[in-house]
Amino acid sequence: MRKLLLVLFLSPCIAFAQTAVNSATFGALEARQLGPGTMSGRISAIEGVNNDQGKTIYVGTAGGGVWKTTNAGASFKSIFDKYCQSIGAIAIDQNNPKTIYVGTGESNMRNSVSIGDGFYKSTDGGDNWVKTGGLDSTEHISKIVIDPSNANLIYVAAPGALWANSKHRGLYKSSDAGKTFEKILFISDKAGCADVVVDPKNPNVVYATTWEFRRQPYSFNSGGEGSAMWKSNDGGKTWKELKAGLPPKPFGRIALALSPSEPNKLLAIVESSNTGLYISSDGGENWKQQSSPLNVVARPFYFSTLVVDPFDSKRVYRPAYSFSYSDDGGYSFSQASGEGATPHADHHALWVNPKNTNHLYLGTDGGVYMSLDRGSTWTFLQNIPVGQFYHVAVDQRSPYMVYGGLQDNGSWAAPSSAPGGVKNADWLDLYGGDGFWVTPDGADPNIVYAESQGGDVNRVDMRTFKSISIRPQASVGDDKLRWNWNTPIVTGSAEKKNLYVGAQYLYKSADQGRSWTRISGDLTTNDKRKQQQENSGGISADVTSAENHCTIFSIAESPLDENIIWAGTDDGNLQVTTDGGKTWSNVSGNYVVAGIPAQTWVSSIEPSRFDRNVVYASFDNHMYGDHKTYVARSSDMGKTWTLFKSEEFTGFAHRIKEDLKRKDLLFLGTEMGLFGSIDGGANWFRMKNNIPWYALVRDIQIHPVTHDLVLATHGRGIMIVDDISNIRDLTHEVLEKDVHFFDVKPMTLTTGIFGNGGTSGQGAWVAANAPAIPPVYYYLKDRISTGDVKLDIIDAEGKLIQSVPGSKRKGINKISWNLRGKGPKTAAGTKPDYGSFVAPQVLPGNYTMKLKVADKEYSQPLVVQHDPASLFTLEGRKQQYDAAMELFRLHERLAKDVDSINSSLKMLKDAIAKEPKAKNKKKIQDKYDKLEILKAELVPVKQNSMFADETRLRDEITEVYRAICTGESVPSNLQLERIRQLTSRVDDAEKRMTSILSSKQ
Amino acid sequence: MKRLSILGLFVTSLLFGTVQAQTADEVVNKHIEAVGGKDNWKKITSMKSEAVMNVQGMDIPMTIYQVHNKASRQEFTAMNMTGYFITRQDSGWTFMPFMGQTAPEPMPAEALKIAQDALDVQGELVDYSEKGHKVELLGKEDVDGTEAFKLKLVSKSGNEKTLFIDTKNYYVIRMVAKMSVNGQLMEASNDFSNYQKLPEGIVVPFSMQTAQAPAPMIFKKYEVNPVIPDSMFQPR
Repeated sequence: MRKLLLVLFLSPCIAFAQTAVNSATFGALEARQLGPGTMSGRISAIEGVNNDQGKTIYVGTAGGGVWKTTNAGASFKSIFDKYCQSIGAIAIDQNNPKTIYVGTGESNMRNSVSIGDGFYKSTDGGDNWVKTGGLDSTEHISKIVIDPSNANLIYVAAPGALWANSKHRGLYKSSDAGKTFEKILFISDKAGCADVVVDPKNPNVVYATTWEFRRQPYSFNSGGEGSAMWKSNDGGKTWKELKAGLPPKPFGRIALALSPSEPNKLLAIVESSNTGLYISSDGGENWKQQSSPLNVVARPFYFSTLVVDPFDSKRVYRPAYSFSYSDDGGYSFSQASGEGATPHADHHALWVNPKNTNHLYLGTDGGVYMSLDRGSTWTFLQNIPVGQFYHVAVDQRSPYMVYGGLQDNGSWAAPSSAPGGVKNADWLDLYGGDGFWVTPDGADPNIVYAESQGGDVNRVDMRTFKSISIRPQASVGDDKLRWNWNTPIVTGSAEKKNLYVGAQYLYKSADQGRSWTRISGDLTTNDKRKQQQENSGGISADVTSAENHCTIFSIAESPLDENIIWAGTDDGNLQVTTDGGKTWSNVSGNYVVAGIPAQTWVSSIEPSRFDRNVVYASFDNHMYGDHKTYVARSSDMGKTWTLFKSEEFTGFAHRIKEDLKRKDLLFLGTEMGLFGSIDGGANWFRMKNNIPWYALVRDIQIHPVTHDLVLATHGRGIMIVDDISNIRDLTHEVLEKDVHFFDVKPMTLTTGIFGNGGTSGQGAWVAANAPAIPPVYYYLKDRISTGDVKLDIIDAEGKLIQSVPGSKRKGINKISWNLRGKGPKTAAGTKPDYGSFVAPQVLPGNYTMKLKVADKEYSQPLVVQHDPASLFTLEGRKQQYDAAMELFRLHERLAKDVDSINSSLKMLKDAIAKEPKAKNKKKIQDKYDKLEILKAELVPVKQNSMFADETRLRDEITEVYRAICTGESVPSNLQLERIRQLTSRVDDAEKRMTSILSSKQ
Repeated sequence: MKRLSILGLFVTSLLFGTVQAQTADEVVNKHIEAVGGKDNWKKITSMKSEAVMNVQGMDIPMTIYQVHNKASRQEFTAMNMTGYFITRQDSGWTFMPFMGQTAPEPMPAEALKIAQDALDVQGELVDYSEKGHKVELLGKEDVDGTEAFKLKLVSKSGNEKTLFIDTKNYYVIRMVAKMSVNGQLMEASNDFSNYQKLPEGIVVPFSMQTAQAPAPMIFKKYEVNPVIPDSMFQPR
């Protein structure tokens, strides 16, 4: 009520003042973002407004856009939902802090890093953004620096493309506040700019580091001749290389930091044959090695953050594998204490509040942490749901569980709905390491399969949370097994007890991984040139299984035949067996004919559930520098393929999903968006229904019972679009109608399993639940601008039970009826009474729903049914209804009585005033007083505070009325006795009223 | 070649002409025209409107009294009790008996500042520049599938609103008001529909849905230029 009133108050009086299918068509079918916030995701940039006490902070994420807080992390808001979600750098014009720049494309160049699409600017604190500057092809931006003396001068460091040569890399400078950029430092199409710093006291002095690097699907190289350190004394016009005292080249990545209080003092971590922290006290002219502890030298390509305190040049922060700080200019380092939250490993961003240098924000692979003591202790901010899932699965429980593996954050399960909404604490930690596939057993609800990187497959018992390693082992004569970093674990679609995992061979188990059968030979190209991952890393070794190659990456069993199994590899093979693995056929040459490059990763395979010859597949070629969206269909078991094409497509393809009921309804998840088609892939549209427009959609499931669309995003956690079954009914005929009222499914009487839940009042992420009572749906061809929309519910006798106003947006709308009638009219008193808000649930039976749109009416029959699975019997429900209605009528009787008393009191008062004779006046006054006494027994008349204890007959009726109406239970013996008592008191009151009013004056 | 260039220029100017964005003033003027025209709005000196919010069967009636640039009273009734917000040039009052309040309380300054912008019954966009407000056109945006101009309005008092104006009929279909509450910026979003013309020539929405509210406010009646006694704007 309070919220409603606030809303009313905040509503100013403004009064005075061809049917293409697209996202709008689905209107109110919007996603709810399940989270979690308990394990957030990789944070790539943090910047704060200097003059705001550390309250306004912008957080850039690896795959979840930009989040803003204005209250030091008490709450966050996502402010970049319409744009590329991979963020490389953020900068704030501190003299005009509503001006924000965002460089897209994270630059922590791990195998799974996403790509950007340019440079954005906001001049209103992130409410509105424009893409600007022409940096669209840089793909990765690592840093943005604004000249502190002239906000028009902006430097952008672009390492550039990770997987290919590119000219769009280097150091860029704008002289017009980001409108245009000029490339001012370019080394080669292999080496970009990794870091840039500007001397705050002499902004013509600019330092930059260049970096040569390259990934291939099977190797990574950090380092080369293009890596170097540079200095310019003229704002970037001319450059000289800094070498004196630095280790011998070649270098890898160099992280650079300047001491703001003494800008001649510089620190750098130089990846080289002698990686370490190097310092200079003369503006970079001469360097010497300062130290090389593990946290300084660890993974320099990934940990490139080095920060010096704004006022104390000795205080140096090295957020890397863990959080280290130094009080002696980087000679020695200490670690954060164990009190409070221990920051998640792997750090990439740090902001030091310059007005209170004890106050830090740290960005890690698991979210944002805040410290008020210079990093000694930390608080985790649990309200940024930017988890990076690879896959998602659902089970058959009610509410069903969602399973998925998170980048650097393990394997998890959570209920799709939970009491009070899905909270961080509802997420169950199933397994450690990086998480990928988490697959519930098809037949045993207690068993789940989870893994960490490189094929570490486990069977997890959900009752004990104990895990057992079930990774298949090589047999005699087998090659060493090659497991993809993201090894597929797949259960059977036709035969539920089947379990598959793939190395280069495909393994099958029918007993939960207790025994395995190898059902294929090497299904990959087994190209030895692509199996050099032991040498991965470049200057610093970096072998984490992330470069394992020539492996199986996708597996699917046909829902129509367990002997038809498809396997796709990371090196371009697409293989199929129709005899359960005895023989295999490689169809990769066939998809190449359709225009899909050879050697692409086969990212997903979707055998049709309607036709055994039909199969869909998605292909990902971005590791060869090709970002095109490849998704195709074959209707002849892979012999010929048709490539789907759409101008809407952006991003390389991860997952193609066929609907479970409507065969031409398809969904496609890519690195930059979710797409849908209702005509078998001929036309596609981007789905934006509370889904970030360029979300990294890695996996898609459709729940077979609830018809929910469940998305695994790599940066925005799990998203659920509840019940998409109405999309299935959107035929072209329906789309052309002005209004379509979808069939109303029978409604089961329920108060919901645990209400609608979902509040954000806990300082942590809480996701809304699925609707407790299923809504009904209607389609509007266009927004209704004239007239209103409402839904009337009418019972079998034609009586109007309830009338509910409806929304008017274009596309599908939904409307919820609470399965109750209207509340009773209750007697007026000085204190509020909530009885009028309460009504009993209706009884099972036949009803009609009449949808009124402007001046037209559309009807659907509705069957309301008792839940046979409920412990509450139908007979009990009838008893509850009868008891509630007795009290309902009692309320209305009393209200009528009090109305009569009130009008009599008014008449008597007038009569007293008019009556000339004192004797008569007194008689009338006596009657008046008696009535007042009676009224005071029926309703509160003195107190108007809700906290006052003036409980009268009305309030006593409400108390038992509410108790009976709100639960799913037969009324108790004492409740029934109470109804009799209250009825007799109303009877008495009426007798007294009649007696008072009929007495002679 | 020369001919080609001229043709090119002509085509370019045509293209430029079509793609050139409308100015904020053009949008504002077309909006004002669509809702009845400036002259009609400038004749409005007071307004009384009656609305109802139906929350799952319970009607919450609401009456709004406004005297142009002087005072307003929003009154609503629930559970047999009536509460109100009063906004005046010099003060504001709230009385919410449903929430346990037993006497009217003064409105905090921040809330009052926001509420006072709504005292302009003739609409903030009418003669906005003379009133000291600033308007900026931020382009077009999709509002739940409907294309709309996105207009930022910063009032003389510094309050900021974003108005979404349907590109087809120039009605305001959504307004997002920003308000500072104890230093924190909050947003309140309202959708407007069912615009109808009153006998006085002005066009007003008969439905308003506040984001997160359980139901829209359906207007039953607008009374233009009624006499509203000053006592309506006194807390009591």
